[in-house]
Amino acid sequence: MALKGLDIFKLSPKKNCKECGSPTCMAFCMKVAQGAVSIDKCPYFSDEAKAMLNEQTAPPMKTIAVGEYKLGGETVLYRHEKTLVNKTLFAVSVSTAMTPAEVDAKLADLQKVDYERIGERMYVEFVFVANTQADPAVYAALVEKAAATGRCLILECWDEACAKAALAVAGKNVILDGATAANWEAMNALAKEAGVVLGVYAGNLSDLYDTVKKLEAAGNKNLVLDVTGKNANETLANAVLVRRTALKDGDRSFGYPSIVNLARIAAGDDRLQTAYASVFVEKYGSIVVMENMTYAQALPLYGLRQNIYTDPQKPMKVEAKIYPLNGADENSPCALTVDFALTYFLVSGELERSNQPVNLIITDASGMSVLTAWAAGKFSSSTVKKTFQELDIENKIKNRTLIIPGKVAVMKGEIQEKLPGWNVVVGPLEAVQLPKYMKDKEYEGAAKAAAAEAAAKAAAAPAEEVKELSFEELLATRVPAIEVVDMGVKYKGHNPESKTFVTIGERIHCISPAIRKAMDERDPAPILKRAAEQIAAGATYLDVNIGPAEKDGPERMMWAVKLLQENFNNVPLALDTANKKAIEAGIKVYNRTNGKPIVNSADAGSRIENINLAAANDAICIALCSADGIAKDNEERMKHCHDMLERGLALGMSSDDLWFDPLFLVVKGMQDKQMDVLNAIKMFADEGLKSTGGLSNNSNGAPKALRPIMDATLVAMAMMQGLTSAIVNPCDLRLMETIKSCDIFKNHVLYSDSYLEL
Amino acid sequence: MAFTPKTAPFSGKINAVTLGTGDKAIVIGGQNVMPFYTFDAPIEHAPKIGVEISDAAGQWDAPELKAFYAGCTTMADYAKKAETMPGADFLCLHFESADPNGANRSVADCVADAKAVAEAVSMPIVIMGCKNLEKDGELFAKISEALQGKNILVLSARSEDYKTVGASVALAYGQKVGAETADDINLAKQLNIMLKGLSINPENIVMNIGTAAVGYGYEYVASTLDRVRLAALAQSDADLQMPIIAPVSTDTWGVKESSATDEDEPAWGSREERAIEMEVSTAAANLTGGADAVIMRHPAAVAAIKKFIEELI
Repeated sequence: MALKGLDIFKLSPKKNCKECGSPTCMAFCMKVAQGAVSIDKCPYFSDEAKAMLNEQTAPPMKTIAVGEYKLGGETVLYRHEKTLVNKTLFAVSVSTAMTPAEVDAKLADLQKVDYERIGERMYVEFVFVANTQADPAVYAALVEKAAATGRCLILECWDEACAKAALAVAGKNVILDGATAANWEAMNALAKEAGVVLGVYAGNLSDLYDTVKKLEAAGNKNLVLDVTGKNANETLANAVLVRRTALKDGDRSFGYPSIVNLARIAAGDDRLQTAYASVFVEKYGSIVVMENMTYAQALPLYGLRQNIYTDPQKPMKVEAKIYPLNGADENSPCALTVDFALTYFLVSGELERSNQPVNLIITDASGMSVLTAWAAGKFSSSTVKKTFQELDIENKIKNRTLIIPGKVAVMKGEIQEKLPGWNVVVGPLEAVQLPKYMKDKEYEGAAKAAAAEAAAKAAAAPAEEVKELSFEELLATRVPAIEVVDMGVKYKGHNPESKTFVTIGERIHCISPAIRKAMDERDPAPILKRAAEQIAAGATYLDVNIGPAEKDGPERMMWAVKLLQENFNNVPLALDTANKKAIEAGIKVYNRTNGKPIVNSADAGSRIENINLAAANDAICIALCSADGIAKDNEERMKHCHDMLERGLALGMSSDDLWFDPLFLVVKGMQDKQMDVLNAIKMFADEGLKSTGGLSNNSNGAPKALRPIMDATLVAMAMMQGLTSAIVNPCDLRLMETIKSCDIFKNHVLYSDSYLEL
Repeated sequence: MAFTPKTAPFSGKINAVTLGTGDKAIVIGGQNVMPFYTFDAPIEHAPKIGVEISDAAGQWDAPELKAFYAGCTTMADYAKKAETMPGADFLCLHFESADPNGANRSVADCVADAKAVAEAVSMPIVIMGCKNLEKDGELFAKISEALQGKNILVLSARSEDYKTVGASVALAYGQKVGAETADDINLAKQLNIMLKGLSINPENIVMNIGTAAVGYGYEYVASTLDRVRLAALAQSDADLQMPIIAPVSTDTWGVKESSATDEDEPAWGSREERAIEMEVSTAAANLTGGADAVIMRHPAAVAAIKKFIEELI
């Protein structure tokens, strides 16, 4: 929990001696709160006050390690607030009250459930070993048996002698679940000596709290709390109140992981235990103890757990591989889609419903859906080719029919070219159409047509030698001459030194079918029309998105850059594509009169190399503060920011040439994260950094009439925070007027009655 | 230092909605705390369980389930039998065979079934359509008309057809209407606003905010439930204070865990037990998130969830 400067100030010596280097104690405390200076710079803070501050800046809930597992460490009550970090683990219980045969059967059964689901191994992590008698040898024998499974152990034992004997044979990966109000001192000594986690149990929360306090005072904070009550109702109350007290009220004495023992509150009823376990996976059970874990129980429970403990901001991915469905073999046709888990479930489900053998090939697309991945360049003919090579599909499958998603029909030609010998067929647009499509074998005709087409092509153009052309050669041979057309609009110029807000017009984008077609056909008219509109509306830069453009990126970009700059007085441009060569080519023909080119964009993950590209070409680089998915908080955003800043500076870039993008988020869906984004902008500004971003993303999906209002309001708030640029639709009059007005208030432009017309 | 937990109800409250008539009428909603948080304030109306009866129930092949309905041929037979199922609070008639892309049963046949059921049973009735907007529109209107006075709940009005469904079901025939959206809290709120805009009383609206079997994108359902409930209770958002109904069985019986035969997956054990546990877990998760009613199929799963609710309230 972040501590406010004023809270620290209350504990400060209030001497204003300046020995710390700050003018006043207040100023010093504010810096401490921001983490800018260490509290140790002040010689007069009492040790007590320091200890208190350290305590208060500690996380609200401890992370406790047992063996390879981590328990607790949660910071929120609901996953949508941020994310839940350490998943609920499961235990199966054995007890000294069972016969040896019963114990053996239990231990054997719990090891049977062991499978993989979406990249995660699903199995029973713990054996819960309950002691119900007084003979240390009997308990130790049981513990030894349980330890032989190799699983971590929870030793439920309140008898000191038995606990001691058990610890001697249990190994290190153990929770000694034995402390109570009566025996905590002895158990604490045992746990400390053995170096294991201590479990605390009490008949009610008040006693539990007191016992924890005593253990903490005795120096043990390596605890878990058994919150099981007399019945389910009381157990849920305990689990919720303990977690709520820690996270909401900030009382760290309840900031420990929990154990919920269903064997105690639903003995003999597996189905009821499944129901309760489903509750405690969501509601604050760190370890859930069950009497059994059959496949029938494991399949739903582990599935639920996997869902609940996914990061809401990171998509769930399935492994890229061949999934043979309905008994498919090497002679069955192939269907291709992306690795977004929901896409996979939907597509595989519908394919299964068709009852037709088919090999579903999942390609790595960073967990994005089909269209998003395509637009981001993560699902392209190259990525498909890479998957085919990595999975050795060529040799594993003999059938040569490949069905691609209907939504990316545009990729058909490119994939066909990259995968010679395959007959690429465009499948249906929606997964629900698959059963009919497969049953009717619609792909057979299309595959024949594709084969015939490929054969005809091969016959017509006998293997042309493909030689990589230099940019100069490409420019000379592949880029059509530019004709300058009078569009009645003149770009008014831009001074790169000016502090006024930089708008980057977003309307030349390949996601628009008209622009895509114009780019493909090198048809200037639609592109010039959109450029003229944006320039007339006052755009500073124009973004040029040429799509993934894997095949002809360089000549495409060179053409687009020349077309726009020659027609519009060297309007400065942001070059927007996943194809690095294309950006490089664009910069080669770029005229810098009105500002450097912008590379759109780099991130802190797989696209970080684009910073090198910008540095090598003296370009500005938009730096997305994300790596693999949206940053979960501003700490992560700033980490990405600093990583990219460091890289840019090391490559000799000026910090002014890195424009940090906090990633504007859509209100419908991420309403509670909007202030985070705005605060990130403030953090960039406070460090003297420039910022930009796709601001209108906030209003995606909102009615047309609302979007200008939302966008304009957000831009005003963001400019207040220090946003220096945005990628926007400049034809949005309300937005542009708001930006101009903000530039007046920020004193970037001198006021005149006609400032809006300028 | 004794520990005193901080407990308190919210200022916002879920609408209490009555379904059915007479002795068997049920009330869902009415609470001002998170699901099962009886330590914050007592919960007057426990969540309710509906039993799904389908016009395709003849194809149900799980042995115990089949045995339970042995001898039933008509929908009314099934309904009478379902009414005896321990734990059942209401009945859900699922007209999946009305789908024009499937068996395409006529509206008249479906209405006749619904009427026969209404005459044979006294529990509240919930109607579920075939997901075809056009057919559902007609079906919902005709059934609402035929069952006037029975205070049924019709699932559902969607943003595409809320005007026609809302107008016929709730305005013309005085029934309760479901507002169905798919894991989208903003759309859920908007749909309620639009239904209220037709001058439908909020007390006549129940929400279905989206469903999934556990393991199948259930995280979206879980977070939507959390957010809807927190908006209704903590922010007192009157446009999200409608009680929530979660059809569970229609999702869980279709997934691989429930449908793979014992031969397909020999290690997994009995298929029927898997289907039961899948229903149990999904229903429990929905109730944990905020569902005020769940719709289930298997008697064993219903019994487990009934016990679960009784223990937690």
